[in-house]
Amino acid sequence: MPAVGPLTAAAAVVVAWQLLAQAGVLPVWLVSPAAVVEQLGVLAASGELARHAGASLYRSAVGLALGAGTGVALGLAAGVSRPVAAFFDPLVALTYPVPKVAILPVLIVWFGISDLSKIMVIAISCFYPCFIAALYGARGTDPTWVWAARSMGARPARTFLRVVLPSAAPQIFSGLRVALALSFILMLAAEMIGSSNRTGLGFLILAADASGRFDLMFAAIAAIAGLGFCADRALLRLRRALAPAPPAVEATFGE
Amino acid sequence: MLEVEHLSTVFVRGGARIPAIDDVSLRVAAGEFVGIIGPSGCGKSTFLHTLGGFIAPTRGEMRIAGRPVRGPGPDRGMMFQDLALFPWRTVLGNAMWGLEVQGRPRRECRAVAEGYLAMVGLLPFRDAFPAELSGGMKQRAALARVLAYEPAVLLMDEPFGALDAQTRELMQEELQRIWLQTRKTVVFVTHDIDEAVYLADRVVVFTARPGRIKVTVPIDLPRPRELEVKKTPAFVDYRNRLWDLLREEVLLGLARDGQPVAGGRG
Repeated sequence: MPAVGPLTAAAAVVVAWQLLAQAGVLPVWLVSPAAVVEQLGVLAASGELARHAGASLYRSAVGLALGAGTGVALGLAAGVSRPVAAFFDPLVALTYPVPKVAILPVLIVWFGISDLSKIMVIAISCFYPCFIAALYGARGTDPTWVWAARSMGARPARTFLRVVLPSAAPQIFSGLRVALALSFILMLAAEMIGSSNRTGLGFLILAADASGRFDLMFAAIAAIAGLGFCADRALLRLRRALAPAPPAVEATFGE
Repeated sequence: MLEVEHLSTVFVRGGARIPAIDDVSLRVAAGEFVGIIGPSGCGKSTFLHTLGGFIAPTRGEMRIAGRPVRGPGPDRGMMFQDLALFPWRTVLGNAMWGLEVQGRPRRECRAVAEGYLAMVGLLPFRDAFPAELSGGMKQRAALARVLAYEPAVLLMDEPFGALDAQTRELMQEELQRIWLQTRKTVVFVTHDIDEAVYLADRVVVFTARPGRIKVTVPIDLPRPRELEVKKTPAFVDYRNRLWDLLREEVLLGLARDGQPVAGGRG
């Protein structure tokens, strides 16, 4: 949308929503944007926002780091080594379709309703898109690039770091972006299923729901949306810094 | 400089042995420019890839400056048909790559690379990415990259094959200029007879599959050669002679296989 700013559509929805709320035509469970903002202010002032958001971010960040780290590392290894691929391919193919939240009860039995079980389910979920992206990214390396590197005297380690890795980087970042979204989804789901120390934005939503506090609920949802948006932008920025796309293949979606 | 003795390469596909190159011996003197032509599918690219060390020969030996070589190495600079420029690196970054491998200081890599970019006339575009360059500019970038780490021998696999006719002639002239300046030892594979005669000191004609050396034709035209040389009677004589030799092989290949050879990576 060239003539319209990226935030115009969102602003229009918010303004319409606010006007409808002020006109008194909205049901009680759809509170006005102003009320949501007000509640966010209250949460922020009391330190509640930082406590819940911090707990949620900690879980999703550690889970993402674990899952993405293992996924990228094993995916790259499988991408350059046939035996490694032969070992992991069937395992991944078998377990990939399982909704990871389905194994959360098992993880809770193993690790308790603790941060650890949440981190584990997030890590497992984030593993898959990263593994698959790194695998196909590495496999997609043009063989003549590898030949060119070897003919310039590069040993396998340098060829891997300076050819396979940068050539796979755009795909790896696509995988990371999917994993980031998954980490938020799984974080919320896990917190809604159970939070031992009564923290996390997912817990806050459930607690608000239980007490009929729709303003609080929407405030928590807004906080999640804000955090997710910021995390996604940060990842895009990181990609631009680490793997600048050549102009001809520059992705325009979401930029 | 480059000595190839009784080189044979046999591919094994599904249990069948397919000879690609059969007993090729070739000596290229230091500073000599050798052109290789042959019917498509004759194994001339395979020959070059064997020289590059990417395909292990079934029999035979190659030596560079007297030393036997096996596997790829920076003593032979390979310019690939599809150039193989790294798209995530700028023109300068590409030109520096081979120097970085040698572990030379970054400033020195940069200075040397910029020197060769200037030689190929690409210095103003050093910060551009390969995707931003035209076909001819990509050729120049690839040439600068391979010249930068100063290999003893340049192996060029139909590098101008994808260019339009005018750019192609321009690049031939440029390559001759750069070659006269650097006096590299060059083995240049092409399917374009004019290109081979214009550039080479000696044109080697390969037979239809399996590739053998059919004949070697020294090109006795004074240098530097202007593009106008292509209109002279001497040039036309060379072209006609090579064309007849090549047509013989093409027809032979057709008669034997009953159909044109598919593929066509030479």
